[in-house]
Amino acid sequence: MSCANVMKRDRTAVINPLVTCQPMGAMYAVAGIRRGLPLVHGSQGCSTFVRYSFSRHFREPSEIAVTSLHEDAAVFGGRKNLISGIGNLAVRFKPSVIGAISTCSSEIIGDDMEGFIKIAKEELKQKIGEEKAEKIKIVPISTPSFVETHFKGYDNGINALVNNLAQDPEDSNEKVNIIPGIVNPGDIREIKHIMGLMGIDGIILTDISDPFDSPLRPSTTETRPFYPKGGTTLEEIEDSSNSLGTIALCGYAGSGALSLEKKYEVPAAVGPIPIGVKNTDNFLRNLKKFTDTEIPDSVLDERGLLIDSMADLASRYLFGRKVAIFGDPAISAGIARFVCELGMIPSVVCTGVENPEFVSEMKKVAKESDEPVDVMIGSDLRALEVKLEEEPVEMMIGHSDGRLFAKHLDIPLVRVGYPVYDRAGYHRVPIVGYNGSVNLIDRITNTVFDKYYADEHWKLQQ
Amino acid sequence: MPYELFEVDKEIPERKNHTYVKDLADPTGEIPKCNTKTVPGCMTERGCAFAGVKGVITGAVKDVVHVVHSPVGCTTYGCGSKRYPTSPDLPNGDKIPVDQFNLKYIMGTDLKESDVVFGGMKKLRQSILEAAKEFPFVTAIYTYATCTTGLIGDDMDAVAKELSEEIGKDVIAFNAPGFSGPTQSKGHHVGNFTLFNKLVGTKEPPETTPYDINLIGEYNIDGDLWVLQKYFEEIGINILSTFTGDCSHDEICWMHRAKLSLVRCQRSATYIADLIEEKYNIPYIKVDFFGPKYCAENLMAVAKHFGLEENAQKLIDREMAKIQPKLDFYREKLEGKTLWVFSGGPKNWHLPEPLKEHLGMETVAVSTMFEHEDGYEKIKERVGEGTVIVDDPNSLELEEIIDVYKPDIILSGIKEKYIAHKLGVPCVLIHSYENGPYMGFEGFLNLAQDIYASIYNPVWNMLEFEETIEDEEETSKEEVKGKISETGTNVPKAKEEEVL
Repeated sequence: MSCANVMKRDRTAVINPLVTCQPMGAMYAVAGIRRGLPLVHGSQGCSTFVRYSFSRHFREPSEIAVTSLHEDAAVFGGRKNLISGIGNLAVRFKPSVIGAISTCSSEIIGDDMEGFIKIAKEELKQKIGEEKAEKIKIVPISTPSFVETHFKGYDNGINALVNNLAQDPEDSNEKVNIIPGIVNPGDIREIKHIMGLMGIDGIILTDISDPFDSPLRPSTTETRPFYPKGGTTLEEIEDSSNSLGTIALCGYAGSGALSLEKKYEVPAAVGPIPIGVKNTDNFLRNLKKFTDTEIPDSVLDERGLLIDSMADLASRYLFGRKVAIFGDPAISAGIARFVCELGMIPSVVCTGVENPEFVSEMKKVAKESDEPVDVMIGSDLRALEVKLEEEPVEMMIGHSDGRLFAKHLDIPLVRVGYPVYDRAGYHRVPIVGYNGSVNLIDRITNTVFDKYYADEHWKLQQ
Repeated sequence: MPYELFEVDKEIPERKNHTYVKDLADPTGEIPKCNTKTVPGCMTERGCAFAGVKGVITGAVKDVVHVVHSPVGCTTYGCGSKRYPTSPDLPNGDKIPVDQFNLKYIMGTDLKESDVVFGGMKKLRQSILEAAKEFPFVTAIYTYATCTTGLIGDDMDAVAKELSEEIGKDVIAFNAPGFSGPTQSKGHHVGNFTLFNKLVGTKEPPETTPYDINLIGEYNIDGDLWVLQKYFEEIGINILSTFTGDCSHDEICWMHRAKLSLVRCQRSATYIADLIEEKYNIPYIKVDFFGPKYCAENLMAVAKHFGLEENAQKLIDREMAKIQPKLDFYREKLEGKTLWVFSGGPKNWHLPEPLKEHLGMETVAVSTMFEHEDGYEKIKERVGEGTVIVDDPNSLELEEIIDVYKPDIILSGIKEKYIAHKLGVPCVLIHSYENGPYMGFEGFLNLAQDIYASIYNPVWNMLEFEETIEDEEETSKEEVKGKISETGTNVPKAKEEEVL
């Protein structure tokens, strides 16, 4: 009998967390806007650690402003800091959107961010004139660090952007909104590639693919201020209410889609992330449903290439191998389903959040694999380490933070997700869509070769 | 006037006092305004006090487990972010069972909304007990306040005191909430005072020699400490305690038994050297081992204190002979190149002279994120006429400095590295290093190699596509660089009409 054994962390303390706090997700969301700037209302560490972490993963600049809260703000409130911070940012950087992101400190001292932003807007009008001031949108995003995780922060970020910026509907724009979740530039590009083959225009809410993977061309690079190429424009976000539908690729990123559905009757489809055959098929069906577009042969050929590589590789090298998967709940669930499609066994799937959609997806996976799946929720890397010490697997799939104990337990680690800082180029290579799944199966199979077959092994001959 | 307002700062004129251009004709005593709050809304490179204490000072101690009293984020970011390798050896001959324990594990109390409302003391207590259970081999447990703890007012010292007795190991609370002080420097300060007050003088070393030193403010970034350790051993000097690179908890407890303290990072760790001198009468000298000349001078100064000059001279002569040929090569390649040093604190006055002396490089700009007055005075002494000295530069200023001062290379941290690249300027990491160690004789060659590899990286000759190449001869790097800076001035300054 297949089942999903759901386990929660049995410690009070967290040891080597699998998640971070809400503001990071909101910063990621705002970074995907063309000339969009995150402004963190908190201590300097709140922006510095995230900039460090983004730069380490993407090997790109990450521009995040901070209101620099100190003792005086802790006592008297951060009103002055937020208002002057918005003012300085607006006049010096001339952004299209400022995402004002709260933190644990600004939430605890009870700053009325919405009220302060109103005052900041008034001051800005006096400073640079009404017309110019109106063009700079300021969106408050509430992300208390002591509630949930960065996935919720991302969801809150996208939802706040849509709720504050989407305009009253006019004529249909014949586009589909995509909320990608916290994924890599390569993943977003792959989604755009599929939609391109289908002839569907999209609005990506929001699109970090260029901002976090932008060209080095000094003579065309904007400076003073530096803004990376690309990103979703303000006009696109305003226009998102005129779309044919919204697809949130991750289960945790659906609030913005549901808001658009409720407020403007833009139908929503939330998750699962298109990793593997069935999940990508599902994504295509959603696109077809919203746009009434036939799935073209070019896309079906790409699907065929994935199926072909699965036929070539899965049963011989991968079948029956036990895998532990950890990290982002949506990506972990997607990969778990895909490894089942490859005939592998997702023995342990571990994530740092407690999220009901994740558990129900994992139940589905357990049913499909017909093997028991240990599902660790609200968990951390130490718990996974202890678990794998007792019940070893043949492969781990997750991000770089698991590298040390993977090495210690002598289990090969296939790196996916965020953060990956000890391998090159993983932010560019997609893991979503049929092409991304081909990349994944190649990565998984080559890891099996490296670990379980000596190079001269006769079994590696055809 | 020695102070200059950047063009990008016209809306925040208070920044003018933070930017000083060295002018020999100016009266002495003028330095950039520093150690004050960052202007809100800036992309500052500064961190918080928690980063100062955990990230810089205690994170290097090898046999303690850290419990961060925070929502999950501070814990996540507190793990393994700085390259402080450690050996498993403990002073009593034992080994820690987990290799690089300090880089591998971090614990946190994972504060939630209800804890914010009802207080987090219970959770802190429980988490420290779990830490003792999970890692029974650790010598001590360190726990940290963060913004949340500071605001809800948890009494961490009380919990630490109570549990020290209950567990039978030192439990130390570091009270440096993120918002305290204008920079991470506040965290260094709290770290120094806490470690001194709670630990120094509480234990005795297994043995002592007449040649015992404390090496303070050396965190073993990428193995820096191990380079120095080798030198000292050879000279006949024994490092009794390091503060805190590759250091065990107990070593801090017996710092009072050394004969001399050396202070390497004079921003983050002079405090404890002062306190030890005051209470235990142990003198300290400020040392600096970046670059062969400084390294030689400082090794000699320390050796002199113990009457071991001969040994030192032998080592210096041998090491210099070893590195000289390579040094000559790098000098030939790097002479006349200009640079900008952007460090936390002291590297600003550690690096310009050696780079000038040994490699012929000119420092055109220096900047720091948490230096204080005394440091700026030293920086000012050591840089040449016309060098711009900037306190806490923000991203827009960074762009303007590149544009105006045109450095050939920037030595800085990862937050600045990639924006420098986008503007066509190579960058070498000097916070956590590229391929360190950078300390000592051979370390300086590593630094020179990384600078050379960055400036001479062929990519910088290929930044722009050229429609036609007039003659077949290879375009020299200098010419291409010239072209870039020409186009650089025509770079589309952010197009106002796009938004405004």
